Amino acid sequence: MAPVIDIKNVTKEFKVLNRREGLAGSIKDLFSRDYKTVRAVDNITMSIEQGEIVGYLGPNGAGKSTTIKMMTGVLEPTSGEILVNGKLPYKNRSKNAQNIGVVFGQRSQLWWALPLVESFRLLKDIYQISDEDYDGMMKLYRSLVDIEPLLHKPVRQMSLGQRTLSDILAAFLHNPKIVFLDEPTIGLDVSMKAKIRTLIHALNKEKNTTVILTTHDMGDVDALCRRIVIIDKGRMLYDNDISHLKGFFGSYRTLKIRVDGDLKKEAEVIGKEFPALKVEADDEWISILVDEEKITVMEVLTKLQKTRRVRDMQLEEISTEEVIKKIYEEGVE
Amino acid sequence: MNLKKYLSLTRNGIMESLQFRLSMFIVFVGNLLYLIVVYFLWKAIYASSGEEVVNGMTFSDTLIYLVLATALFNFMEMYTVWQMGRAIQSGAIVLTLLKPMEIRRYMFWEYSGNFVVNFFATLLPTFIVVSVVTHGAIPLGLNLLYFVISVVMAVIINYNIDFFVGTICLYTESIWGINIMKQVIVLLLSGATIPIAFFPDTIRTIVYWLPFQSIYNSPLTLLLGKSSDIRDVGIVLGTQLIWVFVTYAISKLFWKISLPQITVNGG
Repeated sequence: MAPVIDIKNVTKEFKVLNRREGLAGSIKDLFSRDYKTVRAVDNITMSIEQGEIVGYLGPNGAGKSTTIKMMTGVLEPTSGEILVNGKLPYKNRSKNAQNIGVVFGQRSQLWWALPLVESFRLLKDIYQISDEDYDGMMKLYRSLVDIEPLLHKPVRQMSLGQRTLSDILAAFLHNPKIVFLDEPTIGLDVSMKAKIRTLIHALNKEKNTTVILTTHDMGDVDALCRRIVIIDKGRMLYDNDISHLKGFFGSYRTLKIRVDGDLKKEAEVIGKEFPALKVEADDEWISILVDEEKITVMEVLTKLQKTRRVRDMQLEEISTEEVIKKIYEEGVE
Repeated sequence: MNLKKYLSLTRNGIMESLQFRLSMFIVFVGNLLYLIVVYFLWKAIYASSGEEVVNGMTFSDTLIYLVLATALFNFMEMYTVWQMGRAIQSGAIVLTLLKPMEIRRYMFWEYSGNFVVNFFATLLPTFIVVSVVTHGAIPLGLNLLYFVISVVMAVIINYNIDFFVGTICLYTESIWGINIMKQVIVLLLSGATIPIAFFPDTIRTIVYWLPFQSIYNSPLTLLLGKSSDIRDVGIVLGTQLIWVFVTYAISKLFWKISLPQITVNGG
């Protein structure tokens, strides 16, 4: 089957005026032709299949939104090719809109002063959704969330969480093939986050909708995405299964122990005993980063116990968050 | 063409506009104050001229014209430049661009509900009041039909000009100055603040060759219809029709060549 989104060697450059400092500089800028080129997205290639949920991650300013905007057709790539549903998105923006749904973080497409249901009715008409499909979708929504009280509430009276939820429902209403969610859980409380994750997951399962999700919340990623793509400074760092990512770094575990005596000194001694491992000490714990492919945590622990009394211990798995952090900082070799 | 999706936008627009009762009341009071100023201003102008008829218009002719022009202004002003400017600055324009509808249509129909509300809230009452108070300054006949046709075209021309000016915001990323300039130009050259009859000859000739007078002067001339000569009516409506097409073509073209400001340079 052809991928629903196909991106080949896409690069996006912006021309930015070189601004000067100070008042005199600002006046000179009025007549300046001194542009520099900023490469927001640099030679990205990926393809996404129907029904996938892909987590699109990267630090602020990495080029995530630019990529999403190119996929929706709002931005035109400087070079390379993007095909969405087999078509160039920026050439057929209005037609392409029929096949995509978007939620852009803090922006709402809902009618501010009106009850939610009026926004839904409008979407029904402008996307030309049949009565049957509309009713089916509403039935599905009812089974997933407690939508009834929301429907008759003016959008401006909603809490941020309720509004985000409504915006997500609005984006899925015309049953698009792809939904882009740009930081959907930003600023929400824990229970609302969980609700929204469940909802996205269920809609993806039920309608086989492709979901592209950008987020800074690793909880979103762990709950929803099987595949993640990481970019930084416009360049793609990683594109693979999340399990692979964990396996990649996850052979490392951190063993934390507490022993009698001065922890700093003990840490040095342990460091000599295991020259291959990284040993650190803080006020409470001695942390030993163990590469389980070389030596297991149990072996380390047994060996340690022979010579000293371990009073307490903890074992820490590397979390997705740490892995991502490591990638942001060091990249994937 | 599927009319339902447009009417659905109109319907939501009506409902949203009705949410803001207080603002309607304030607009009403504001207009009243404006008209009081207009009344005394023109009274002074006529008094100082010492003549009954100035430039072919009596005092009450002028006043009726200006009252109706104000009502028409409240009916037609769409604030499109503001909306576009704000959407461009905040980046919210992305959402509008991603509607399955051309943006100029979407924005027009999104606003269209206000036309319905404003018609019943300001235009029609003003019309009735003027009609009753003046005992027939507005002839009731075919001229009403011409007026309606003319207003529809005026709305379209006005929107096209607004959309054109709004598009400039793609380059400047600021709205305030541009919007003020547009308003002043349109209000002055359209005959909304001063009847065109009062302009000096050369300027009046220039104004007749510009699209602005098609917005306020044309419908009001037809409504107050001194001449019911079908040829005169034909010329006014014909001129408007030409401007409908010309302004449409220009603003559409301008938008098309400006859109890369977003799609190429980023929003």
